[in-house]
Amino acid sequence: MNCISELHRRRSVLAAALALPGILMSNRALAHDHHAPAAIKSVADFDAAVWAQLLREGPRPAAYVFTTTYCSTCPEVFELLHARISAARRPVALAAVVMDAQGARALAHAHHYTGVTRLYAFNGFEPEIRQAVDPKWRNITPYVVLLDRQGRTQRVIGPPDAAQLKAWLA
Amino acid sequence: MRAFMKQTLALAGLLLVLSGAGAQPAHMPHRTARAQLASGVAWAPDGRLWLAGLDTQNRLFVQTAPAHELQRWSAPRLLDTAGDAISADGENRPKLAFGPQGQVVISYTQPLAQPYTGMIRMLRSSDGGQTFSAPFTVHADRQPITHRFESIAFDAQGVLHTVWIDKRDQVLAPKVGKKSSYRGAAIYRNASRDGGATFGPDIKVADHSCECCRIALALGADGRLRALWRHVFEPNVRDHAFAVLADDSAAGVVRASFDGWQVDACPHHGPGLALAADGGFHAVWFGIRRQGDDDVAAVRYARLNADGSPRLDSVRMLPDEGAEHADVLAWAQRVALVWRSVEGAHSTLKAWLSSDGGQQFRLVTLGQVNGDNDHPRLAQRGERMVVVWRTMKEVQVHELHF
Repeated sequence: MNCISELHRRRSVLAAALALPGILMSNRALAHDHHAPAAIKSVADFDAAVWAQLLREGPRPAAYVFTTTYCSTCPEVFELLHARISAARRPVALAAVVMDAQGARALAHAHHYTGVTRLYAFNGFEPEIRQAVDPKWRNITPYVVLLDRQGRTQRVIGPPDAAQLKAWLA
Repeated sequence: MRAFMKQTLALAGLLLVLSGAGAQPAHMPHRTARAQLASGVAWAPDGRLWLAGLDTQNRLFVQTAPAHELQRWSAPRLLDTAGDAISADGENRPKLAFGPQGQVVISYTQPLAQPYTGMIRMLRSSDGGQTFSAPFTVHADRQPITHRFESIAFDAQGVLHTVWIDKRDQVLAPKVGKKSSYRGAAIYRNASRDGGATFGPDIKVADHSCECCRIALALGADGRLRALWRHVFEPNVRDHAFAVLADDSAAGVVRASFDGWQVDACPHHGPGLALAADGGFHAVWFGIRRQGDDDVAAVRYARLNADGSPRLDSVRMLPDEGAEHADVLAWAQRVALVWRSVEGAHSTLKAWLSSDGGQQFRLVTLGQVNGDNDHPRLAQRGERMVVVWRTMKEVQVHELHF
């Protein structure tokens, strides 16, 4: 049991380390995202430690869309968020977090997520990571976390409404 | 640990430098493959319990356990799927069914290159599972579109039914902007009267199903199959619908739940269905229901009438806020609801057991495990009921005692 905990802790630390370059990516690097997002060529691990760090030190404002490879209602939310970001004409991170696939399988879906600037994939037991994001969240996707410039969050199942989008990029 | 932290920070720093102050790392993290644990189980006519699943290399295997010693699983036997990719996560999984004349069929969804597309594939045995055919596609429609989340079962006349989620109608529907004007997907089915050797035409059961929840099947008192699935009622209410799977059924689609959950999202959480002693049904499902000022997410149980309509006064929540992917079995007055409850890394397998047709239940904890695990899978042979729970370490079998 101790060995498992130690192994898990090391994996979390390692995952956080691997995700650091993305977390620390400056808003300047995102500056042209609202014009033409570059093709996503890599996928970063996502777990509780990475999420805590993203909330604490990640880009702001930002949107995180939690999705699965079989969620056919999810692409519409990316389109909605991308349109809002484009209209705002400012650098905003739009991340896809794939919950059921890693590596190349997750990457294969990236082109389906309009405007995405960063791709993550769950690394670990899905319900455990999901509960770290929101203990009440019951695996319904898309699950959207909107992070505003001050670090305040709005959590939405399905597409955010106009008021939520306005508050996000106010 | 300190040395490890230093190494980790050094690695992070190196990655930052290599990534050009903010560019993304050049390589994806390398890790060993995780097994997709979602499996199917069924009793064979000879009393052996069968399991079909994927190994760590995503290869299809079967293994069996004798009726008198259900924890003693045989070594996994790999089956040739001609290189098919196989979906075995979320509510997708390989499934097994046994026919009346030595037939064994194993079905799965083969994901295609485009997202959300797939084919329903099947392997067939006519010698009790000693040998299997090459995989074949079950439905007549061969467009590279959604044919996924199949369920299979033999009815009392020995007819094999396959039911699945299908988007051929959505593809044909006019678009409003980029979006299809068609609500959700559709439920299609076909039937095979020779145990999977040949199949009848694809038949639409219902327009406007939800897109990625499992479909529950149960035999009715008349020996015909019933299906229960998550539907998208107008405008976007994801409640449940019920139908008889028969060519001569005039009943159509009956609404079976009234949570009134309006959402433009995928719950990934399909229902369970079992025949009740009085000819009605026991049903279990997940939904979010407005109760007072609150939206209450819960797995709920209810009795359905024989036509699938709910007895609204029988609706109750399972006694577990964390319940997910519950399923149901019944025999005479015995009813078993089984589910998984997760808290962090810790999962608990629970059952709610009734001996009076679902009026009163007692809560039982069947098992606990840390780490990845499948949803509980139920199998029934007459009054004997078992729960099969596949974890990273083992396949547990729990006999249900009332």
